[in-house]
Amino acid sequence: MTSDSSSSPSSSDTEFADPNPSTDPGTNSERVQSQLESMNLSEPSEVSDGSHTDYGGGDDDDDAPAEVALSNANEGGFTNGRVVREDLAETSGEEGREASLRAEHPVEMEAGEEPPSPTSSGYDGERGSSGGATSTYKADDASEDEIREANGDGDTASQHEAAWLPGKRHVHEDDASISWRKRKKHFFILSNSGKPIYSRYGDEHKLAGFSATLQAIISFVENGGDRVNLVKAGKHQVVFLVKGPIYLVCISCTDETYDYLRGQLDLLYGQMILILTKSIDRCFEKNAKFDMSPLLGGTDAVFSSLVHSFSWNPATFLHAYTCLPIQYALRQAAGTILQEVCASGVLFSLLMCRHKVISLAGAQKASLHPDDLLLLSNFVMSSESFRTSESFSPICLPRYNPQAFLHAYVHFFDDDTYVMLLTTRSEAFYHLKDCRIRIEAVLLKSNILSMVQRSIAEGGMRVEDLPIDRRLRQKASSTNNQGQDTGGPDRLRDISVGTGGPFGLWHFIYRSIYLDQYISSEFSLPVTSHRQQKSLYRAYQKLYASMHDKGLGPHKTQYRRDENYTLLCWVTPDFELYAAFDPLADKAMAIKMCNQVCQRVKDLENEVFLQGASPFSW
Amino acid sequence: MATSGNKNINAKLVLLGDVGAGKSSLVLRFVKDQFVEFQESTIGAAFFSQTLAVNDATVKFEIWDTAGQERYHSLAPMYYRGAAAAIIVFDITNQASFERAKKWVQELQAQGNPNMVMALAGNKADLLDARKVSAEEAETYAQENSLFFMETSAKTATNVKDIFYEIAKRLPRVQPTENPTGMVLPSGQAATAVNSSCCA
Repeated sequence: MTSDSSSSPSSSDTEFADPNPSTDPGTNSERVQSQLESMNLSEPSEVSDGSHTDYGGGDDDDDAPAEVALSNANEGGFTNGRVVREDLAETSGEEGREASLRAEHPVEMEAGEEPPSPTSSGYDGERGSSGGATSTYKADDASEDEIREANGDGDTASQHEAAWLPGKRHVHEDDASISWRKRKKHFFILSNSGKPIYSRYGDEHKLAGFSATLQAIISFVENGGDRVNLVKAGKHQVVFLVKGPIYLVCISCTDETYDYLRGQLDLLYGQMILILTKSIDRCFEKNAKFDMSPLLGGTDAVFSSLVHSFSWNPATFLHAYTCLPIQYALRQAAGTILQEVCASGVLFSLLMCRHKVISLAGAQKASLHPDDLLLLSNFVMSSESFRTSESFSPICLPRYNPQAFLHAYVHFFDDDTYVMLLTTRSEAFYHLKDCRIRIEAVLLKSNILSMVQRSIAEGGMRVEDLPIDRRLRQKASSTNNQGQDTGGPDRLRDISVGTGGPFGLWHFIYRSIYLDQYISSEFSLPVTSHRQQKSLYRAYQKLYASMHDKGLGPHKTQYRRDENYTLLCWVTPDFELYAAFDPLADKAMAIKMCNQVCQRVKDLENEVFLQGASPFSW
Repeated sequence: MATSGNKNINAKLVLLGDVGAGKSSLVLRFVKDQFVEFQESTIGAAFFSQTLAVNDATVKFEIWDTAGQERYHSLAPMYYRGAAAAIIVFDITNQASFERAKKWVQELQAQGNPNMVMALAGNKADLLDARKVSAEEAETYAQENSLFFMETSAKTATNVKDIFYEIAKRLPRVQPTENPTGMVLPSGQAATAVNSSCCA
């Protein structure tokens, strides 16, 4: 597995094993030094083969016992795919066979039509595969063009969020449509009787036959006393997740890791639990043929927005949340009133700006998991209905208590900033409304709302703002990212403008372990288009997966170079740093730069992180 | 408000009805005088308040716009409990929504406040060509069940203010004290009493 050839195992390093990480900044900087020394000492050999694809596939081999009782043949995903599908035809009869044959086609078409993409994301392939498609594709492309044009303004992350339209696309499709079969990534939720519950593309009801096929695959393997986790068929991965009576399936040729795809299914399931609670299982106990899809009526936008976030929101793989950068005193003021509100019998009170936290508080001993926070903010942000007035809605926090509903009071102060108050009491609406009025008074008095707008306009940390060495910058801009085939206009712009921050640093994500929070830099040149950003996130995801690979143990550092990026990852007991550099960046300089980034984040930690958020530190 | 003789009445009003009948659209037209062609599905329930001046009183409506989605049905009692008025909304172009409305009426008659003022709104009245539920059918049903019926259109604003105004007029003026024996009985008798007193 290539990813691991370049990473240094943590071995017997005492620091890494330290169960009580110190939070003292003084000792931290010492640690930074010593870590860096150790980085230099144990400098890993570079991987410059440029084959991201290798680690996509490699990861899954470690799950061998889980990888179905299919066959030992690992060389051809095709073989695997066929084995399953033939078995399936026996069990599910004529309809199943038909569906399975149809399902097989896209695999062959995709594999035949597209030369293996040299880029890491496989996203380029998406464009390639759109040849036979309809006008709907044009709409997609058009929206990306818009994003590209808007990029000049800087705040790209939020802009592509804004340009992305929520809701279900391509409802007219079913598994017989060529366009449907060519989609890069499908998500399905179905019941264990094979009834469709959710499909990312196409009408669930028209996909009943396809759902039955998926169900047949799963139950066939289960009947053999085993569990199907992953089927590989050429470029495609079919990932299964069984949650009691609910089956979740992802069919993807995006070259993401098995672990991350499975994590995405987990989040999808969590989103469903957030809407319905786990007590939905009881409906299946009473009636195995229970049709659950009506219960999710009107939530397409919630799911499609979550699926979209898999490609832009690092919280989906970091399992951490991020804060809106704002002055420490303002965050404190907001935190104080939220804490007061919690003391009056509210379980959680959160002040949010889009997907970012301004401040939050929880009742004593109540702790909010970052994944719940992600699902909650996705739910609120994707449902237009919350913006029309005050809302009071039952929601369930799957990590807090998957069995029970909480009641959420949601109120938007403006287009971006909103408060969420969660309680266990269904009759608490008027109390929560009063709490909101108190919170609003504080926000107005301390001018927080306009400071929030200012923070949005200014954006977060920028690599350009880090201390700069101009000589290295020159070098960086001359090399650029020619390996990335992103089409004409982009490339022209990339070449014509200088790139990124000092020493060829393009982007970074810093995750504080003990705060459960991360801060990511704003995207800067040359990573400007939505496509490039998505591709970088995919590279980070793989980096994350290989660093947290269970089979090979946790790693401390990884330095990886391909034609798109130089990626550097550094994991300590206190933090994780993921940084992307110019592919020709100097390694020693890159390591120095990482040290600087960490220092910079520590300097700003009171503004970029929510400190002392009691719910998380228990 | 020092206006002598004027009473301030707080009235909780709940809107119930099938998905897509137009509950939110009615409320938004009434409260904000807005209309959007593709109103997003309501999550849980949305709360609005709006004040109306009616003859001798000022009525402050606290409006619960509930979600029509099936998963929220079990929560409905939370919203109609203690409500002084309800508007049951159906879509005149959708027979199923009318059947659903009848179920809501039954539920309110069985579980709700017996003094509740109930209105039946046949919404989307602008879509005459697509009509599936005739005005006569709805009117007959309304009379049988002592509701008052209006065809409304949130899109054109037809009858939207009127239906809220009519409810405001019918609200019992002194809620707790005026409770003659006949009013305690559920449904039929109670509502006819309201009818006779208001529809002169």
